[in-house]
Amino acid sequence: MKSDAAALTNKPKPVNKSFFKKEKLGKLTPYLFILPWIIGFLAFTLGPLVFSLIISFFDWPIIGDFKFVGLQNYKTMFTEDPLFWHSFGVTVKFASILVPLNITIALSLALLLNQKVKGQSFFKTVFYLPGVISGVALAMIWSWVFNSEYGILNYFLSLIGIRGPDWLGDPKWSLGAMIIASLWGQGSMMLIFLAGLKNIPTEMYEAAEIDGANSIKKFFRITLPLLTPTILFNLIMSIIGAFQQLTLALVLTGGGPMKSTYFYAMYVYNNAFKYFHMGYASANAWFMFIIILFLTALVFKSSSMWVYYESEVKKSK
Amino acid sequence: MRIMKMIVSLLIVALLLITTSCSSSDVGDTADKEKVTLRFATWDSGDALKIQQEIAKKFEEQNPGVKVQVEAYADGFDQKLVASFGAKNPPDVMYMWDFPTYHVSLEPLDDYIAKSSELNIDDIYSGLFNYSSINGKIYGIPAGFTSHVIYYNKDLFDAAGLEYPKAGWTWDDLRKMAKNLTDKNKKQYGFAVPGSPDPYDFEQFVWSNGSSYISPDGKTIEGYMNSKETKEVVKMFVDMLRERTALKLGGDISGSKTFKSNKLAMYESGIWPLNGIKEAKINFGVAPLPSFGRNKPACSVLSVSAVAMAKDSKNKDLAWEFIKFYAAEEAIKMRTADLPIRKSIVKEMNYENDPIFASFYKMLETTDKRTPAFLLHPNWKDIQKYLEDAFEKCFEGYKQNPDVDKIFDEAAKQASKEL
Amino acid sequence: MGCIKLLSLTKKQKIIVYTLLIGSTILFLFPYFWMITSAFKSEAELYAYPPKWIPSKWHINNFIESWTSQPFNQFFINSAIVVIFTTIGQVISCSLIAYGFSRFHFKGRDILFMILLATMMIPWDVTMIPLYMEFNVLGWINTLKPLIVPAWFGSAFYIFLLRQFLLTIPVELEEAARIDGANSFQIYYKIFLPLMKPSLILIAVFNMLTVWNDYLGPLIFLNDQSKYTLTLGLAQFKGVYDVDMSAVMAITTLICIPPLIVFFIAQKHIIEGIGNTGLKG
Repeated sequence: MKSDAAALTNKPKPVNKSFFKKEKLGKLTPYLFILPWIIGFLAFTLGPLVFSLIISFFDWPIIGDFKFVGLQNYKTMFTEDPLFWHSFGVTVKFASILVPLNITIALSLALLLNQKVKGQSFFKTVFYLPGVISGVALAMIWSWVFNSEYGILNYFLSLIGIRGPDWLGDPKWSLGAMIIASLWGQGSMMLIFLAGLKNIPTEMYEAAEIDGANSIKKFFRITLPLLTPTILFNLIMSIIGAFQQLTLALVLTGGGPMKSTYFYAMYVYNNAFKYFHMGYASANAWFMFIIILFLTALVFKSSSMWVYYESEVKKSK
Repeated sequence: MRIMKMIVSLLIVALLLITTSCSSSDVGDTADKEKVTLRFATWDSGDALKIQQEIAKKFEEQNPGVKVQVEAYADGFDQKLVASFGAKNPPDVMYMWDFPTYHVSLEPLDDYIAKSSELNIDDIYSGLFNYSSINGKIYGIPAGFTSHVIYYNKDLFDAAGLEYPKAGWTWDDLRKMAKNLTDKNKKQYGFAVPGSPDPYDFEQFVWSNGSSYISPDGKTIEGYMNSKETKEVVKMFVDMLRERTALKLGGDISGSKTFKSNKLAMYESGIWPLNGIKEAKINFGVAPLPSFGRNKPACSVLSVSAVAMAKDSKNKDLAWEFIKFYAAEEAIKMRTADLPIRKSIVKEMNYENDPIFASFYKMLETTDKRTPAFLLHPNWKDIQKYLEDAFEKCFEGYKQNPDVDKIFDEAAKQASKEL
Repeated sequence: MGCIKLLSLTKKQKIIVYTLLIGSTILFLFPYFWMITSAFKSEAELYAYPPKWIPSKWHINNFIESWTSQPFNQFFINSAIVVIFTTIGQVISCSLIAYGFSRFHFKGRDILFMILLATMMIPWDVTMIPLYMEFNVLGWINTLKPLIVPAWFGSAFYIFLLRQFLLTIPVELEEAARIDGANSFQIYYKIFLPLMKPSLILIAVFNMLTVWNDYLGPLIFLNDQSKYTLTLGLAQFKGVYDVDMSAVMAITTLICIPPLIVFFIAQKHIIEGIGNTGLKG
């Protein structure tokens, strides 16, 4: 913080001084801070968003003309298209298994790394590594791992006398294989947890130690409550991520076998770029959008009961 | 506040770079104004892409003042192309196979062809135009193609003491060989069947057995998609999977990869894996597809890379020049990643007697009159979904002993609704 | 910067911790190891079964051939430009926006924040074409601008992350400064920006990786090969029908290096939270 002290004594830039002096702008100040986002939202997000909403009431093969069909796309989707419900079911199943697993494992790894261990930077980098590999190669690596005939996983299993399953070729195992593959690339979540853990002041642990708390008590009394904002973040991000999972299925299984990994995001993607029903795909997308929004809002609403913010708590006192 | 200083200085560098890069690109634009840029989109990748770039360069040399911008979309071809068409900013010239979807935005070429005798259209195998015509209008000029053949591993055949397959063989022969070539302990298989085949590639087997997915007038599915012949073909492959003489391909198991690891004795495909197989130093041979008996000639589906022109192109004459160049002798000879479309060149290179290429041309002869289902009905993409499902139920689910008759009757019933 | 006093462990605990760490290390490193050795293998060994762990001959040529088969130097420069400019943009804009969202109470804040979160949930498939149309009207297609400019207006993921962090900082901090007569911008600049440093480095690292590996954006918005980024170059080895596996592995190995170096340098700074800045207590 030395440099900060020095910076404070530096004379502020003239621009800042005249512009912000005595908070002339008053109530406008917070809006000024978020102004970049508002501009970006209006310029790059709102337009396409509205466009896709409008398109969802049209039949649009992209190559060719628009045809207004009213609510037909939504009607077809809910009542006539079994694949819609199927893919939605696959995604819900995937998300409800992956999200808790993801958070538990990322948090456990972060807790391990938060111990006083040697080679922290090494381990951190190792856990972060898988996230660095980009899509095409990732798919090849996984297909090599899971390949039922010539794959490495079943090779190892055969060494200990187990005949491994047909990972990506058997509907019973394929979703499980997807979950394993998704878990592998979660280094960033672990990092976010680790950053959250390091934010917990060590004084609090010292104080608890003096009170004679054991490590389990310390974890539940200090670590977990103070980590709740980070947990909230990771929870929401992994829900969104699970619902939007597309790449892995697209490159690994193509949705198969027997549509067992046909995720909702893939359903939308195929309707748009395989079958060229952009209007219908937009209707699909809006449904997913509303579902994730609803889930997020639910998590947020509940968060006041379990998330602990230092700044908010102090205010209520 | 080192970090702040760093950010500020980076910011300045950024602004400088942006302004300089903008001004330099402005300079580039003015230089390019004298040059006409022709945009050409391809799905080719790797070595095949390099060939496209070289052809484009040749065209530039012969047409001073023209810059051909080769846009390689690879695997993202459809996604990228559809976005650019949707936004009314398509490339001038592009590779094309999916004419039913795109033809409304493509320029019909009949008038151009009529005006260009130098194109010498009779020299091009006429069957190829089946694949680029919609409602009697030609929308694309073929530049290269492949038919389907069987690759076989000579070492595995020798080890099993079997004779190599040759023209005139049947599926029964193939099944017998496959049985002999399968060795469970070595994880070695005689043949391979895709778990969820692309209906486009699969129709050749149905043709070979004397049926098709849809009637030639594109109006009837019942009795075609679920014909006795169609079901026979499916049952045969299901049986091979159940006997374990065929490996089920899909997702994680690729046929070309397995072939390259000497674990697959016979592999059905187009020309695509050829170079890879050569590079992997596999001792291999190529045979035409087997037939379903004496009176039923084996048929192959073709994959044609045609070159088409966008309706919205601003340089249509130049685009046509480029298309012509693509179908002319010089360019075709440069294309080593697929097969020449001109009879004269095939003759000149003696491909009809080449141990590898002969089979491809033999397959081409047999298929001149066949039109794939996707060209016969404008709504085929939606119809095909039911067919895809039916294949998947039979092949992916072969262990459950699928009821092929019931599955295909149901598929035909559902698909007929989309007509 | 004071020393962090970490929790001390007993010997038994230490053994457990290290076993777990090393075990997971092997799990995490294994596929990576295979990728790198594959990059060196000959075509024939690549497909061998039982798998060949170590190539019998190290084909360094794989790297050179694949790198020079397309203008990868140019792709690298393009990727670097996009990464540098987006990262600067994200760090500046996100820190401002997150500060605005977390340290003020203002009308419509929660609704605006929900909208911000909602922008993360829109599937790309359906906004891609309208976005393309918009950039086309602006004349930005086939330039790097569509990839860079939006980053200067913040990204929901990073804003959310920073906000969560800023909410954990007690209010006394700025109250004291306000009594001293500092305005909001000064508080942001002199108090919060330094506090955010670890988190900002974290989002810079995340952004770098995301942008470095982005495939869809470059695919849709760039046409000319001279504008391509590394991932597009990499995709040139995966065709519609066949994949050049050793080239994919070689190029992937190479393009993993810069993000890893950045990460390795940055990771020390990421993890030093406010726990040791002496602000608490």
